[in-house]
Amino acid sequence: MSAVAEFQEFSFRYPEADQDSLHLINLQLGWGLTLVTGPSGSGKSTLLRSLNGLVPHFHGGRASGGAWVLGHDLRRTSTRQLAREVALVFQEPETQFVLATVEREVAFGPENLGLPQAEIRQRVASALGGMGIQELGSRRIANLSGGQRQRVALAAALAMRPRLLVLDEPTSQLDGEGAEALRRQCQELADSGLAVVIAEHRPWRVDAVGSASVQLRRGSVAQDESRLQRPVPKSPRPGPAFGPLRWELSQVSIGHEQPVAVGIDLGCRQGEVLCLTGPNGSGKSTLLRTAAGLLRPLSGSVSRLPGRIAYLPQEPGGVLHQATLLDEVRQTCRWLKLDCSPWPILEDFQLTQLATADPRDLSTGQRQRAALAAVLVGEPELVFLDEPTRGADPASRQQLLQVVGRLARGGSAVLVATSDTEFAGQIGDSVHELAGGSLRRRAEVAA
Amino acid sequence: MSLPRARPPRLPGLQSSEPVNPRALAIWVAAVLLLSLASEDPVFRILTLGAALSVLLTRRRSGVRLRPALVAVALASVLTVLLNFLLSHSGSTVLLELPGWLPALGGQLTLEGAAYGADLALGLAACFAAGICLSLVVEPYQLVDSLPGPLSRTAAALGAAMTLVPRLGHSFLSVREAQQMRGWRAKGIRSWAAVVVPAVLTTIEGSVLLAEAMEARAFGSGRRSALATARWSVADHLIAATSLLTICGFVAGLATGQLPGWQPYPLLSAPALSWWPSLCCLLLFAPAVLG
Repeated sequence: MSAVAEFQEFSFRYPEADQDSLHLINLQLGWGLTLVTGPSGSGKSTLLRSLNGLVPHFHGGRASGGAWVLGHDLRRTSTRQLAREVALVFQEPETQFVLATVEREVAFGPENLGLPQAEIRQRVASALGGMGIQELGSRRIANLSGGQRQRVALAAALAMRPRLLVLDEPTSQLDGEGAEALRRQCQELADSGLAVVIAEHRPWRVDAVGSASVQLRRGSVAQDESRLQRPVPKSPRPGPAFGPLRWELSQVSIGHEQPVAVGIDLGCRQGEVLCLTGPNGSGKSTLLRTAAGLLRPLSGSVSRLPGRIAYLPQEPGGVLHQATLLDEVRQTCRWLKLDCSPWPILEDFQLTQLATADPRDLSTGQRQRAALAAVLVGEPELVFLDEPTRGADPASRQQLLQVVGRLARGGSAVLVATSDTEFAGQIGDSVHELAGGSLRRRAEVAA
Repeated sequence: MSLPRARPPRLPGLQSSEPVNPRALAIWVAAVLLLSLASEDPVFRILTLGAALSVLLTRRRSGVRLRPALVAVALASVLTVLLNFLLSHSGSTVLLELPGWLPALGGQLTLEGAAYGADLALGLAACFAAGICLSLVVEPYQLVDSLPGPLSRTAAALGAAMTLVPRLGHSFLSVREAQQMRGWRAKGIRSWAAVVVPAVLTTIEGSVLLAEAMEARAFGSGRRSALATARWSVADHLIAATSLLTICGFVAGLATGQLPGWQPYPLLSAPALSWWPSLCCLLLFAPAVLG
């Protein structure tokens, strides 16, 4: 068989949608590694879901044209059958966990394949080892960080030993080590003759030798197949004059019941952008929430000047509940009694075209931008962003850079917790790494 | 904004380190449900509730929090007593009389109504507590493993469903936190829509995505196998045996009409004491004693 998957004039439209998510796709995916790129909402996730039959079988909607995956006619083969050969890891791994503990979750797929107990054990151990998370086997998934969960989801897919592995934004929450482990795994799988298809906004993180690429735009295959380049770190700002300290942590221990990091001294001045990086599970979100006042420190002191706080949680979909995106931004203005128009922030994030859309109908990347617009409207004095580039395409990252830059110039003190080290290098006046229970300054970009 | 208090450390030493076999626990739960529902005698219901609470206290998994479950049981119980007291209007001992123009509530409120409500609440609390044992004493995957092969698909769906309530709780807390930071403040019942609606929507969306993920992982594509099978210890055999004995005793009592009942209407009276059904109830303490 020459192609892993073949699409001929294939179109798909979700139920109640007014346009095709995939439109007259003509595409052949070969063995080895294939990268799928394209802006948020371009149809990447839909294309990936079609590779295991979730589109059209699970979602309904209208499909036309021809599509074959591993020799199976997509429109006549159920997802359950395709799933025995095709493994898919979703963009938001926390939504796909069936069971409560890591080992059991990874075993769920092999159990569905009816494998003998000994083989399931061997596959679970191998998959956990492959993703470098052997020590998490007995942990409860609810207690893991976002990045650790992403690794568990990847391990669960690897344990299926698929012929075709499909990954949707697999590195969105991974630290450098996790992304490298994934890249190695994908390279090994591709070298062993399997097919790996990855949708990724930062393709350089998973790019492998000899990989092919497909670029989507508005549901169609784009002609321009030039690879995205790794962004360059931020150049020093010409002598920014930061204002007084807006908040400060002094000898703080952070954690929920047990400390995950101790002796933290950190402060953010007016107009300063601090970035917090570190391995998955190191406590970045916990530190950010402690600085924002959402969590009391286990010891030490937190001081903050009064001022409006803007906080973007790691799972931003939760803040969206209005019927339209415009109402969502207006709601923040109403609650905070802000006398400002919602349009400039929607413009900043290129969301004016989607202003009347239901926020929950948006793609993951668009939803992330919608949540950012909803929390950053107005001029917040203190800004806390937890993984703000999750699911963000290069254009969205650029918009975020500009908005955060504008806020900082306006005097906001900004803290960004991110596993996206490239973004941290681009945006941060200083970058701090939280690892091994302590915080250290990794780089100071600003003069 | 004031900082939330750090969570106090959990009570040490009460929870068991020796897991109970899920099948033995399921038989025990069936016995508690039967005893709580088969007779309205408050003595049996007090004993079964005591047994369920003792199992929760002594055999719950390490690290699980009991307080939310106990608060939910207590609230449901209080609501049951209140509803029966306000709505029954039967009985001889009048405590209060509400004006007749009040729809449903108007009329005599009696001691017997309150007593019967308390009896119902005891039964309800015992059933709830026993059901909670299933999720707090064993892991959902242990339940999945414990069901026989032909029911493996149902079992996996059950295991996934059991994660729904914790997901909703997590979603509620994170949405409330995020909305508070956007300026939301609780002002009356309607204001909670800003938290409850997105929390529920997020959970529903999560359920759809979960179903999609299960399908994508070959769930339902054929016969399932299991990573582990639950083992039976001597204590598990004893728990199952005593629970079965209890069930048989009560079923026999029901069949022969020898099981004492209790009715507080029209005039409140003390429940009858019968030694052998009470002994059956005491056998339900086996999981707590054998832990």
